Amino acid sequence: MKLKKALAVVMAVSMAASLSLVASAEEGGIPAYGDIVLGEDYTDLEATITFLNHKTDRAEDGTMDSLIAAFNEVYPNITVEATAVTDYPEDALLRLSAGDWGDIMFIPAIDKSELSTYYYAYGTVEEMSEEINFANQWAYDGLSYGIPYMGNAQGIVYNKAVFEAAGVTELPTTPDEFIAALQAISDNTDAIPLYTNYAAGWTMGAWDAYIGIVSNGDATYLNQKFAHDADPFSDNGDGTGIYALYKILYDAVANGLIEDDYTTTDWEGCKGMINNGEIGCMVLGSWAYAQMVEAGDNGDDIGYMPFPMTVDGTQYALAGGDYCYAINVNSSETNITASLVFIKWMTEESGWCELEGGYPVDKDGALPDMYTAFDGCTILSDEAALEGEETLLDDINSESELSFNAGGNSKVQRIVESAFTGAETLDEIMADWTAAWNDAQDYLGIETTTY
Amino acid sequence: MAGTVAARKKKKHTFKEWMRSRDGQQVQVMIAFMTIPLLLLFVFTYLPFGEMFQFSFYNMKYIGTRTWVGLKNYIRVFQRDDCFGALKLSLYYMGGSIVQLVLALYLATILSFKVKGGKLFKGFMFFPYLINGIAIGFIFKFFYTRGYVFDTVLQWCGFDLENLPYWLRDQRINNISLVATSVWRYFGQNMVLFIGAIMSVDNTLYEAAELDGANKFQQFRYVILPSISTIVTLNVILSITGSLSAFEPSYVITSGANGTATYFVVMHEIAHTQQKVGLASAMAMVLLAIILFATLLQKLFFKYVFRNSEDEDPNAAKKRDKQAARAAKRSAKAKN
Repeated sequence: MKLKKALAVVMAVSMAASLSLVASAEEGGIPAYGDIVLGEDYTDLEATITFLNHKTDRAEDGTMDSLIAAFNEVYPNITVEATAVTDYPEDALLRLSAGDWGDIMFIPAIDKSELSTYYYAYGTVEEMSEEINFANQWAYDGLSYGIPYMGNAQGIVYNKAVFEAAGVTELPTTPDEFIAALQAISDNTDAIPLYTNYAAGWTMGAWDAYIGIVSNGDATYLNQKFAHDADPFSDNGDGTGIYALYKILYDAVANGLIEDDYTTTDWEGCKGMINNGEIGCMVLGSWAYAQMVEAGDNGDDIGYMPFPMTVDGTQYALAGGDYCYAINVNSSETNITASLVFIKWMTEESGWCELEGGYPVDKDGALPDMYTAFDGCTILSDEAALEGEETLLDDINSESELSFNAGGNSKVQRIVESAFTGAETLDEIMADWTAAWNDAQDYLGIETTTY
Repeated sequence: MAGTVAARKKKKHTFKEWMRSRDGQQVQVMIAFMTIPLLLLFVFTYLPFGEMFQFSFYNMKYIGTRTWVGLKNYIRVFQRDDCFGALKLSLYYMGGSIVQLVLALYLATILSFKVKGGKLFKGFMFFPYLINGIAIGFIFKFFYTRGYVFDTVLQWCGFDLENLPYWLRDQRINNISLVATSVWRYFGQNMVLFIGAIMSVDNTLYEAAELDGANKFQQFRYVILPSISTIVTLNVILSITGSLSAFEPSYVITSGANGTATYFVVMHEIAHTQQKVGLASAMAMVLLAIILFATLLQKLFFKYVFRNSEDEDPNAAKKRDKQAARAAKRSAKAKN
């Protein structure tokens, strides 16, 4: 009996002692992102953090494990448990609304006004802009909540060998030149000039990425003007603007410059096909480049070119962040600190961004080889929405059900269907979109102007 | 006053006693056993349903604030072209379910008699039902791809690839292609249900029918069909409501593109892509009303159809006789 009592007392004392130790460790509070010196600070921090992400391919090929192993060489006491989820956009939202999702996740499609409910703010956008690119990607009320794991400069993945065989020596810079190049591929080679990836759906939504900077050279358009634009889908007549953007797709389909049966396209299969020279080009973000290179033996043939649209003599390219790391605001201080260290290490030291062929996130990162064709282009990032209008684009996207850059794939699929069957002209589709846009503006009480 | 108090006391006493009695124990056990399934039913069916009903009156996303909009969502459901346009696709699925039931009934009738390798055939035809719907979607995605499985098989049969249609691209036939996958999946299950029902038909009835000179079709028409009318009705109702809420073929194989979006797929798009949860909930409630209405119509229809056939049922007369005999016995006992 006495022994047991003594043991209990010893236990209690030691537990209390360890508690106070923990407390003293936490007294320092959470450091600012910019103040953490990698490899020096917090190397003895003990924590177990979780990291929810969508990179199932990197989980399968062991890249994620080796990244974490490299991290643990510097920070042996921070255990990172990474979970890759296949249907990330929906699954992440569900887990988020259920709470208790861990420490780090990639931010799914939520309204910006909700950011502070779920996530820890890294700092003001100004502070973060000194450290990273794209700090305004997930910003609300001047605070930055997300750090992209890589950046994407939006263009077109193409097969250099196919373009050469078709006799296209200079990359097209206008929609007309692009359609002519596709026609040349169709005439001179057996390759499919433009593979739409219609069946996968989200690959069609990828066309939305060129609205704004690429289509009119205005970095403020997408987040500040688009929602106010009374007539965003009209024909400028000079091969620029949103109309001209979707006209490329419409014309390519109408002229038979796409795959034979677009309803049974195969996303996994297309990677090998473009690698083997069976496909001329695909309209996809730069993140796809690395996958296409790795899909076969002819990785050197894969190239990445800016979107063929020239505004007043300048070709613009959009660079933006991909999925962003965010930290659970409800995690313990220790876990938040450990998460910050992990994210900073991933961004600056891991080389993950470069491995994926991404546009650098770290301010001091070097531009990778794949972007050589972007030389001479003006590269811009979309500016954040004006204060008080952060949710405007989300609202109008949802209300009009066009969902630009937010999963509105069916509207782009409709262009392919209409162009193929001849059911609707592009003008009819655009008039329909304008009506939906204007109705949504009315419903939400948004002031409109014409730009 | 005193009398009533005493009466109450007595009542309480008897209740306690009743609780201890055999009858009381029985009731207690019944309640105890019922609580758990009822609780599960409430928590997992009626509570979410109530929540959804409530959602249908709000303008809301999954997260964020909600605003009460009253019946606006319901009005919008009726104003939109895509909601009720999608219900037209259900006609394809209903047509498919009729083909499916006729096929199942036909095969069930054949297989419920002695057929060589009957069990093997049953197994083969039931097998698709065991495969997960999503997996079936993926199978058929490749099955219908240009120049793949289906086209190859047809080419073996002498068809020229040039003359074959694009099964999923051609908007005139792509819904039929999708419905075919659903027929393929479910007819085996219907067949097994029908076989079960046909097995329970009294064998002597066939003998009697044969003696009367009835051929196989007449046996089917006047012996089998009336005897399994309940299970036929059930299957028809399940198939029709199923075709109103078709989802998997369209969602997995074509992701609702190219004019194949059924009501459910449209609802999914509105709820998850456009995040109009309130509107989608209202759509669900409207669909529920439509399904209830369709079921009611079918019930009335079958009541009418099978009332006539039951009059011809030889069993009916027997049943009546038996009932009369039982009633006579009872009244005799009561007199004693």
